[in-house]
Amino acid sequence: MSLKDLILLTGRTINQGVALEGGKTTKENVRAAGICTFDKDDFKKLDCIAGTPVKVTTDHGEVLVYSTITEEGPHPGIIFIPMGPWSNQVVNPDTQGCGTPTFKGMKAKVEIVKDGRVLDAIELIGKLKEA
Amino acid sequence: MVEVKLKLKKKPKFPLEADNITPDNFAGKTLNEIKKLPLYHAKELVTIGDFFDVSGKAEDVANTKIIIDGDVSNVKRIGEKMTGGEIIINSDVGMHVGNTMSGGKILVKGNADDWAGAMLQGGELEIQGNAGHYIGSAYRGFWQGMQNGVIRVKGSVGNESMLWAKSSKPANKWPTLYCGSASSFLGLHNHGGTMVVEGDVDRCIGADQVRGTIVIKGTISRILPSFKKIDDVTEITLPNGEVITGKFAQYSGDHSVSKETAGRLYIAIK
Amino acid sequence: MVQKKIITNYDVLCPFCGTLCDDLEVDIADNKVVEMRNSCQIGTKKFFSSNPSGHRYLKPQIKEKGSFRDATWDEALDKAADILIKAKRPLLYGFSSTECEAQGKGVELAEYLRAILDNTASVCHGPSLLAIQDVGAPLSTLGEYKNRADLVIFWGSNPVHDHPRHLSRYSDYVRGYFRKDGRNDRFIVVVDPRNTHTAQIADLYIKINPNEDYELLNAIRAVLRGVELDAKEVSGVPMESIKELVDILKKCHYGVIFFGMGLTQTLSHHRNVDSAISLTRELNDHTKFLLTPMRGHYNVAGANQVFTWNTGYAYSIDFSREYARYNPGEFSSVDLLMKDEVDATLVVASDPASNFPAGAVRNMFKHPIIAIEPHHTPTSVYADVILPPAFAGIECEGTAYRMDKVPLRLRKVKDAPDDCLPDSEILERLLEKVKEKLGE
Repeated sequence: MSLKDLILLTGRTINQGVALEGGKTTKENVRAAGICTFDKDDFKKLDCIAGTPVKVTTDHGEVLVYSTITEEGPHPGIIFIPMGPWSNQVVNPDTQGCGTPTFKGMKAKVEIVKDGRVLDAIELIGKLKEA
Repeated sequence: MVEVKLKLKKKPKFPLEADNITPDNFAGKTLNEIKKLPLYHAKELVTIGDFFDVSGKAEDVANTKIIIDGDVSNVKRIGEKMTGGEIIINSDVGMHVGNTMSGGKILVKGNADDWAGAMLQGGELEIQGNAGHYIGSAYRGFWQGMQNGVIRVKGSVGNESMLWAKSSKPANKWPTLYCGSASSFLGLHNHGGTMVVEGDVDRCIGADQVRGTIVIKGTISRILPSFKKIDDVTEITLPNGEVITGKFAQYSGDHSVSKETAGRLYIAIK
Repeated sequence: MVQKKIITNYDVLCPFCGTLCDDLEVDIADNKVVEMRNSCQIGTKKFFSSNPSGHRYLKPQIKEKGSFRDATWDEALDKAADILIKAKRPLLYGFSSTECEAQGKGVELAEYLRAILDNTASVCHGPSLLAIQDVGAPLSTLGEYKNRADLVIFWGSNPVHDHPRHLSRYSDYVRGYFRKDGRNDRFIVVVDPRNTHTAQIADLYIKINPNEDYELLNAIRAVLRGVELDAKEVSGVPMESIKELVDILKKCHYGVIFFGMGLTQTLSHHRNVDSAISLTRELNDHTKFLLTPMRGHYNVAGANQVFTWNTGYAYSIDFSREYARYNPGEFSSVDLLMKDEVDATLVVASDPASNFPAGAVRNMFKHPIIAIEPHHTPTSVYADVILPPAFAGIECEGTAYRMDKVPLRLRKVKDAPDDCLPDSEILERLLEKVKEKLGE
């Protein structure tokens, strides 16, 4: 199942903050920042259980993350990935000449990848390093 | 007019800062002296002769035309502060082309990067391709930007073009931008600049405008809520005397800056 | 049973976020953090993470044939200096999670190397600084807000998550001198596309469409001037609600807007902040109104201060032509990296591999990286040289600037591991090596 015409927001969460201080290379960090949070009703349309890996795609890239249901809704049409290595695979790097990338507000689509493997931070960033 | 020909002989690995390439800097110099003029390649001090083959001759400023061949898309600041003469660039060009110029003419036969014509005080800048962000704008921290002169861009301009433009009725200075289309924030903080767009624009056009004239002949994605419709017109007289005919909706704004304003935005009626 | 001697440190500063809490209590036994009081979850974790662990660097590291080996300080600094000198356009980036002395040394090193000097404001509140440079800003201090503000607006900011104790120390639940009834003496407004945890405890939540903050601020300013607008709704907010909000703004005694990435990281970036500042200024025709950016890192404000008083500019500075030049968009880290214009990076007290867009990281990885970093992070793991520092604010003293630019003194509550040096000393030694090699 998939959803399109979504808007992707990114930002801090307290869990992501605790995890990054505890160790960015830990599993705790994946569970804190390698996630995508959905509006309750939007998530029903995906027809899967919370925690199922989903692929988030924007004009700038794609990334596999665990799905969760928001505690900060309702926000139909909006998905949220905490700031970090996962969100940075799909954010808009264009700064429109001002220096700061457009980390929030990208158009996105999402599809379930039931057997997908969500990478940890080191593996994920490692893919950006060419051989 | 005499010509000095510059042909790029090796592509710079980092941006080349070429603020010395102006008729003012070439005037009265021999070819050897021109070849020795300094340029910056990242932190390395190099000369024009290191990167360009130089031929032709220079005279006084008004009669010197510089023709640049080769891909100078990574060469910045060409034409900076020039007061006269001509520059023709036969490719895309890097940031800051023609910035702070006060006279003369620059023609770019390709695209220009951000900050083209920034702080323009006079003269003419023509770009046949597209241009980046901050075209004809004020530099960071300056609250008066382009104050005279004309910029023509056949294609699109990016965000915040003509930022802090300032006109002067007593001095008869009407900074003007003609372009094919524009992104957002065209005419931001406008204090009298004139903008005429042949095609479409994005959002926040004329934001914080105090006075000035912005004409959109195509469509606008969204007009700012602080702009108020006055009436429909069939003719617009620009401050520089030019007349535009056609059906336009006339808006006053930006009313977030003041309750009454001389600022005007015209959107074509299809 | 041997009783461990516990030393309690009072009034310790927390080196995590821009709230820079100054009331932490840290218990140390046997040079380890054993208990914390008053800190939030994140601050607690930070102090505990300075204890010995598997993911802290205890010795300098040099990468050889794809894996790290221990090195002496001399070796590692030598290799780092070589990398920086050889580079034609080196970037010195980060500086936000360290103290002001170190930041000053960073400026010196960048100037000497004729490098690009940038800090994390570049991807965070840089737009706020750009806006302040254009239209100024009516700012005040957190203490003033705590004592006086009866109207508090969080715009594009979610303090429950990103500044956990801000609400209980300065802006919401605390009793102030003129706000003796604490929470009951304040009206909290949240503007956000999501009904965040902060919005859920506010008095008024305004749901705004993403990327349309500028239009809403623009409409509010016009309504404030008494202009009757044509639109029925702006940015997803009905005109009636906008008019109600303007009434609330005008009728307060002392209002403050706290704003965050919702303004700086969405489309129109610094122009969102420009409009918010103009609104704040215009509200002073009716009542007292101020604003403050919710700075993310505990000393990014300090980095801006130190860079500014040394060079005239707060971030995105280029020294390649032997004097300081400033232009975000041209000299900002992400833009430079996206164009692959940087050929070596020195990362200090930050983690760009995690926090920069993928395209910028990809290009950064093509060239040598030196990381001054205590923990294993995606940046350090892929670096070529690692120089292990002491934790500023835990293992060494220094000055940090809070989000409202108040300077406070970071404390030292325990010793760093033997081979970990303070950031300022590492940068000083690196500068000496560079000067030595260039024959000064």
